[in-house]
Amino acid sequence: MNAWQLVRVHRGAAAVLALLALTASLLVAGLPRGFEAAYDDALAAMVDEVVAPQTDLAVRLRPNSPEDELHDRSEFAALDRLWRDALPPLLSSAVVPGGTGHQSAKTHGTPVSGVLGRPTPLQRYVDLAWASNVGEKVRYVEGREPGAPRTLATVPGNPDLKNVPLFEIGLVREAADAMRLPVGTTVLLGNSYTIAAEVVGLFEAIDPSDRFWEHNPEVKRVTVRWLPEADEPDLMAVGLIPDAGLRELNSRRELYYSWVLGIDGSPINARNATPMIQDIVDFRQVVEQQGERNDSGIAQIPAASFELTTGLDPLLEGFLTQLRTAQTLMFLMLGGLAVVALGVIALAVQLLAERMRAGLGLARARGGSLGQITRAGTGATALIVVPAALAGYAASYLVPGPITPIVHLSPAILAVTTVAFAAVRLAFAHRKPLHDSRNDVVAPKPSPRRIAFELLVIVLALGGAYLLRTRGLATDVAELGADPFLLLVPAALTLAAALITLRCYPLPLRLIVRLANRRRGAVPFLGLTLAARSRGVTSLPVLILLPALAVSVFGALVSGAIFETQRTATWQTVGAPARVERAAEIPADVIAKVRALPGVTSVLPVAKGTVQVATGAQMATVLAMDLAAYRDLVAGSPLVVPDPPVGDGIPVLVSANFAPYASFEIGWHTRMKLTNVGSIEKLPGLAFESSNLIVMPYEGPKIAGLRTYTNILLIGGDVDQALLERTVGLSDAVVETFDSAHARIAEAPLAGTIIASFTIATVALAGYALIAVVIALVIGAADRARALSFLRTLGLSQRQARLLTVLEVAPLIVLTSLAGLALGMLLPAALGPSLDLSAYAGIAVTEFPLTFTTPILLAAGLAAVSILGAFGHASTGRRVTTALRVGEST
Amino acid sequence: MTTLSDLEAQAVRNRPAFGEHAHILCDNLVRIFKTEGVEVVALQGLDLLIEKGELIAIVGASGSGKSTLLNVLSGLDVPTAGLARVAGMDLLSMTSRDRLRYRRSVVGFIWQQTGRNLLPYLTGQENVLLPMRLAGNKRDARRRADELLELLGVADCATRRPGELSGGQQQRIAIAVALANEPEVILADEPTGELDSDTSEEVFGALRRANRELGVTAVIVTHDPLVSEQVDRTVGIRDGRTSSETLRRTSEDGDVIAEEYAVLDRVGRLQLPRDFMNALEMERRVRLELERDHIGVWPSAPGEENNE
Repeated sequence: MNAWQLVRVHRGAAAVLALLALTASLLVAGLPRGFEAAYDDALAAMVDEVVAPQTDLAVRLRPNSPEDELHDRSEFAALDRLWRDALPPLLSSAVVPGGTGHQSAKTHGTPVSGVLGRPTPLQRYVDLAWASNVGEKVRYVEGREPGAPRTLATVPGNPDLKNVPLFEIGLVREAADAMRLPVGTTVLLGNSYTIAAEVVGLFEAIDPSDRFWEHNPEVKRVTVRWLPEADEPDLMAVGLIPDAGLRELNSRRELYYSWVLGIDGSPINARNATPMIQDIVDFRQVVEQQGERNDSGIAQIPAASFELTTGLDPLLEGFLTQLRTAQTLMFLMLGGLAVVALGVIALAVQLLAERMRAGLGLARARGGSLGQITRAGTGATALIVVPAALAGYAASYLVPGPITPIVHLSPAILAVTTVAFAAVRLAFAHRKPLHDSRNDVVAPKPSPRRIAFELLVIVLALGGAYLLRTRGLATDVAELGADPFLLLVPAALTLAAALITLRCYPLPLRLIVRLANRRRGAVPFLGLTLAARSRGVTSLPVLILLPALAVSVFGALVSGAIFETQRTATWQTVGAPARVERAAEIPADVIAKVRALPGVTSVLPVAKGTVQVATGAQMATVLAMDLAAYRDLVAGSPLVVPDPPVGDGIPVLVSANFAPYASFEIGWHTRMKLTNVGSIEKLPGLAFESSNLIVMPYEGPKIAGLRTYTNILLIGGDVDQALLERTVGLSDAVVETFDSAHARIAEAPLAGTIIASFTIATVALAGYALIAVVIALVIGAADRARALSFLRTLGLSQRQARLLTVLEVAPLIVLTSLAGLALGMLLPAALGPSLDLSAYAGIAVTEFPLTFTTPILLAAGLAAVSILGAFGHASTGRRVTTALRVGEST
Repeated sequence: MTTLSDLEAQAVRNRPAFGEHAHILCDNLVRIFKTEGVEVVALQGLDLLIEKGELIAIVGASGSGKSTLLNVLSGLDVPTAGLARVAGMDLLSMTSRDRLRYRRSVVGFIWQQTGRNLLPYLTGQENVLLPMRLAGNKRDARRRADELLELLGVADCATRRPGELSGGQQQRIAIAVALANEPEVILADEPTGELDSDTSEEVFGALRRANRELGVTAVIVTHDPLVSEQVDRTVGIRDGRTSSETLRRTSEDGDVIAEEYAVLDRVGRLQLPRDFMNALEMERRVRLELERDHIGVWPSAPGEENNE
């Protein structure tokens, strides 16, 4: 028996099998690559999004004694080299020379204790800073670059001060202007161990967007800090000193050294994130142990306590948590897809085996051993499947993305499984020669052993789902990755649902058959009876349709849950279709302008503040707003607004902490007495859940004898963010629209990947379902032709024959679709507590909203596609023209 | 001292065992198909002896067990009980390996459906080569295939595929396929069932030529009188047992004389032809009388019935 000849002879079935193997191989090898690429993109986006200090590694040292001090540029450079050499290999690959990397020495919180020749200003701070590469980052626009420090023998006006070190410093122009420190000014710094600094030059940043400034933002601007109860803000500036300045910079000041090792995000990807975190932990240990080592470690600075600051490891941890949920979903989806693809391939193998059966059976009867027959058939299958799987694997290289072991493994597993299935099937089919020789023997009923096994599978699946729901996952997903239990339960549930469907689908059909029996038409009765009683339809289409629909429906529900929760999160963030918020009051003319904008239907003014409550030292968030109007504004959104407070005086709704008081006073603009008329826990969009919330009518302050205030505008209607920003025209106001906030939340890395991949999977699964039904029909074509030719003798018309074919498979398809739909709807309920989607939605996804529309459309669509496939097969297939004649058996 | 068992053994040794020298021997052969408690007893203690080089036909109504017998003899089916031996090989005690060897080199098989005997995508010659290749007999295979096709008169069909051949040609190639591995026995299940009488004549002629020239024992299951009336012996099967045998001999003046015998089994059971029983209304029991050279069989008298 020649395998190649078998392939040539059965080229139709072979082509179907080859095509299926190719597409399946492409899907199982290509999709993981696509996923990995998406994971990496998401990580790159996360790394790019945050400021440099979040990702860069910074080794910091607070010198506590003269022994710890460094006084020369070369000492910093030497330690920088040491740190770089001590980097673990993987981390080292991500640390780039240059970039944002630099060394610096900065003082912190140094007050100006005097200005020579002027009265001493209050609340002014000037720190000294040295950075190894700052010379390339700034341009002096006035005066000159600072030079080496000198000593001021006496300080005019301060006879106590003698031999004070005098630093020459450069200030950013903005700071010099804001703090009135022009070139030539000398300031005294520090209340003890006072030093002097003379402003010799003013600079500006050559490139303000240089990421160097993300590490040193305070150098290029003046920092304004408002303290509570203060009339004026604190102003803080940083003076740059040259290399020579390091000589006089000592630990008597609050001084910090730092070695910034710039990180390049590109070598970090989803696969090495975990070892990367480990490397950071290792490096942190190396850094922190420096001072404790007897030999003083590589830094040779005894007792110095170095520390490593970086946000990279928490960033990666956060990414990995999101990634694991995404991977779990991808595994579920890819697993479902792989199972369905394998099922369809198994059907195609069955088709091929069916086609080869006569030939191989003859060869077996003529003296072919089981080995020879199996080898020939399996060889033919391998000749078809292996090149096709290889071609699919090669085609997967067109999908951009990194190559993981699964890319190589899955096509191989696919090919091996298919060939093994063919071998086993052929071996079983030809185990006995003339296996099909007798038709007059009754078909065996399912054995009790098999029924017991099926019951066991169902019980295990239901038990697994129950356990998963009640106890959740055994492992912490963030630490240990996806729980295999999570992946096993859906598989077991699918198998259980398929078994139940296979065993039970004749039961509802029999009812329908009874109804059909009462009607006059013979075809519905015949078709449905055939469907209910025949063993012709194989179980494989059920096993394919069911997971296909379950995965699609599950995907639709997950996507829907993410989408819905994103909307809820957006409502909770913005609180209205658009909102303007400002710390200070919003002027009335701005409110009027906003009201006049096109698309704005309503503007609700709100006053929000943090107040002291007279009941004790408690602080509270107070909101003055018209709740009834707000309720109208957010009607139709997930936000819930309580009834407005009604009562004498200033009626308020309060949260738990103030509930015991019938009335109390607060200090907000003035002292006002509030009457407690109800309770409120939270007002999403305006105030998070807290125990210290007070909501009063918008007119509250007016009732108290003042006027109304407004620092938040809640805007109804449809308004463009840019237009709104221009109209408001206040630089310190935060303007946000629902659309922009929603876009920001929906942009969460990976959320798009999840939704897109479920869409791909749904399309692929629908295609497979269609193919499965058609192949199942083709396999049974010979038997059906026999039955139909017999019926043709009895007077069946061509049209009726077609209808009969459709009616024969339609009930199974419809019932399987219903079972798949039910399973798909059940899966989120079973897996919900174990799937953490909060990373994609902005807030915790507490429940999967059961939206029926999409799943039912999916089920109906898939069933319709499958039935159309059957109809297509019946109409385009060979016409049953021959009526059975006397003497013919087939 | 001689024991009883020695004596028994001696007695058996001196008498030839049942069908000791037969080429095909079936003794009390039983085949039961059974699923879910429903049994179909296809063979109910069938006895059959066929000598080497014989050409016999087996006839019987449908469902009488002919095909089951043939499947058992061809090694495709295993009997439930009894004894079946072909060319000295016991069909009940064979391992699957022995069975394979048996199918390869001891028996050849021809089915009724012309389409079923040949692979449609192989040429005539390739079809004949197939059993030899399956058995690993590569030497001289092509020459033997050509010889067989020549012998059966289908040498011109060697390079053609079954689809291009008439039913008769296909069946003759099927005989060549069955003879490919030089079997000792060929078994044919209604080989002329799908053919017209002229073609049937050709095919039967081919079978007879194989039987005479190659010395192969041939067993043909048939409904075709053309076949059953031309063989030396026709065995009738009824209800899973051999019921009658028709022997043919040529008389001195050249006429073929056919004599039908009932089969007497080893324990003395005899099936009376149904029309004989009907003619004399024999039912349930008969009266036997031993005469000098025959046994008389009478229906039981009406009075005897009443005694019951």
